[in-house]
Amino acid sequence: MSVAHPDLSVEIAGLSLQNPIMSASGTFGYGTEYAEYLDLSKLGAIVTKAVTLEPREGNPPPRVRETPAGMLNAIGLQNPGAEVFIREKLPELRAFGVPVIANISGRSVDEFARLAEMLSIEGVDALEVNISCPNVEHEGMTFGVDCEMTGRLTEAVCAATDLPVIVKLSPNVTDITVIARAAEEAGADALSLINTLLGMSIDVERRRPHLGNVTGGLSGPAVRPVAVRMVYEVSRAVDLPLIGMGGVMCASDALELILAGATAVAVGTANFVEPATMEAIIRGLADYCRRHQVVAIAELVGAVAR
Amino acid sequence: MPRAHATLISRERVTEGHYLLTLDCAEVAQNARPGQFVHLRVGDGTDPLLRRPLSIMLSQPDRREVQILVRTVGRGTGIVATHDEGTRYDLLGPLGSGWSIPQGDEPVLLVAGGIGVAPLIFLADSTRMADPQPYVRAIFGGLTTESLVCWTEFAARCDEFIAVTEDGSTGETGLVTDVLAPELDRDPPVRVYACGPDGMLAAVARICAEAGVPCEVSMEQWMGCGVGACLGCAIPSSAGGYVRVCTEGPVFDATQIDWERLMSR
Ligand SMILES: Cc1cc2nc3c(=O)[nH]c(=O)nc-3n(C[C@H](O)[C@H](O)[C@H](O)COP(=O)(O)OP(=O)(O)OC[C@H]3O[C@@H](n4cnc5c(N)ncnc54)[C@H](O)[C@@H]3O)c2cc1C
Ligand SMILES: Cc1cc2nc3c(=O)[nH]c(=O)nc-3n(C[C@H](O)[C@H](O)[C@H](O)COP(=O)(O)O)c2cc1C
Ligand code: FES
Repeated sequence: MSVAHPDLSVEIAGLSLQNPIMSASGTFGYGTEYAEYLDLSKLGAIVTKAVTLEPREGNPPPRVRETPAGMLNAIGLQNPGAEVFIREKLPELRAFGVPVIANISGRSVDEFARLAEMLSIEGVDALEVNISCPNVEHEGMTFGVDCEMTGRLTEAVCAATDLPVIVKLSPNVTDITVIARAAEEAGADALSLINTLLGMSIDVERRRPHLGNVTGGLSGPAVRPVAVRMVYEVSRAVDLPLIGMGGVMCASDALELILAGATAVAVGTANFVEPATMEAIIRGLADYCRRHQVVAIAELVGAVAR
Repeated sequence: MPRAHATLISRERVTEGHYLLTLDCAEVAQNARPGQFVHLRVGDGTDPLLRRPLSIMLSQPDRREVQILVRTVGRGTGIVATHDEGTRYDLLGPLGSGWSIPQGDEPVLLVAGGIGVAPLIFLADSTRMADPQPYVRAIFGGLTTESLVCWTEFAARCDEFIAVTEDGSTGETGLVTDVLAPELDRDPPVRVYACGPDGMLAAVARICAEAGVPCEVSMEQWMGCGVGACLGCAIPSSAGGYVRVCTEGPVFDATQIDWERLMSR
């Protein structure tokens, strides 16, 4: 490696990635949907749409709505369930030859643990635990807004699997560093952030919410400053590697998150705008390294001046 | 690869708020099937952010041209309506399922409501090259004469043509569905093809089911990716759960849709 050929590889929770760029859960299907538009073997990793124990139908439409420089979504975790995922989706995903991170979601600690156990198989390289979902055992309160629930969930998943466990944090909290520390203490190997910000928009002509689910998650460029701030704060609060995401559209957006403290970066909404975004970002990271005489991108993690 | 670059050759105002775009776009012109759409990026910036789905109204492979009919309803379509000749577009497409192509000289009936005419013009056009030629009847409805956008382009490609307006300013007075039932009765076609507002499509689907005539519908839903990845464009399926407008659709057999759940909002 040299300045002319910068080293883009990074390590996250024992996973070696050829570069720091991966898809964000729920925005890239199971990879195959985008196979015609970009070379998936070039990616750092692929993160799947949320997998649940049983199939989920998802929310009533409309499920997406554009907002200024962003979008709201309320898909409702529609997926065919763990069995179909393992049988039909996973073999296709593995064929791309990059690490596969399965995003998992559940209604109870026990459901998460069973799912983690089921997915601890050849072909799944890590689990990303979506804690931004309601816990039916606690009146539907979101796991990820409470330290104790986050801790118990993380512990249970870690006990159920030998795979690296990445806990995906919700930004809809008063102090994200407190939740991040709870996940760290409970044994998480890495953290990813941010999930979508809870939002709502209204059709004023018809005087009703745009989304069938009333509220939805905000993503896209509009949320990027929030993501950068949260990655920055969490990187100073914990000793875990971070996967940053939120509104990344280009290499310089990805670098913002890396400089703020993210070891890897996930790209979500931008895939809808330009399917080849991730390839362009990977090229852009190499260009930046050459321009700034950086031999290895890992040098840049958390390197923002204070 | 279903992605292309296009150049705006001409933009013509058809009626108030409706524009006909002619694009130079060899990739789409060569590959498009009637009923498919393109997912068009309105600008390079982040507002508007997402692409906009637009039906292909006509495709002329020999001239590398594609025509798209746009109704200005919001920010994205409003911006497109101001674009000058020479504007470059980045688009994904042709995307989605298309209409089933009428076989032989069998009679078919096309039912269009307002801007829903666009994908049906492409279907009617494709039958004109066929030999033997299917016998194409059409019903085109709208609020007023102004809503019967591109009706001459549509009528020119059909063997029989009935216009219907709610205010009676052109053709018969009423809704397309008022004309549909008697038409099915008079001379049942082998298939009905329909595109328009959800309420119209639900009624068309019901009338066709009662008459025992197969029916295909082209559906709309707000989209994210356009390629099947985000599950944003889901509509209720009669098999339970949801189907994606961008990949399983936009054209569906009318029996695939759960109309009651669709219309419950
Ligand atoms: C398969 C398909 C084919 C279509 N074909 C045509 C066509 O040929 N001509 C035409 O004028 N329109 C067509 N539409 C509708 C067109 O996509 C919308 O009118 C347009 O996206 C509105 O964008 P806007 O920015 O002007 O409106 P805004 O209301 O500002 O848009 C906000 C958001 O809502 C979405 N949206 C709003 N209305 C619709 C709608 N009816 N369908 C899908 N998304 C919507 C937009 O894409 C955008 O993400 C089609 C829609 C679909 C799904
Ligand atoms: C349509 C859509 C579906 C999503 N589905 C999931 C999901 O299933 N699980 C999850 O953890 N995050 C999900 N997310 C959140 C993204 O993974 C990501 O955290 C968020 O969108 C911020 O990144 P972005 O601004 O680059 O999109 C979804 C986001 C979108 C837009
Ligand atoms: S628009 Fe994304 S799945 Fe149809």
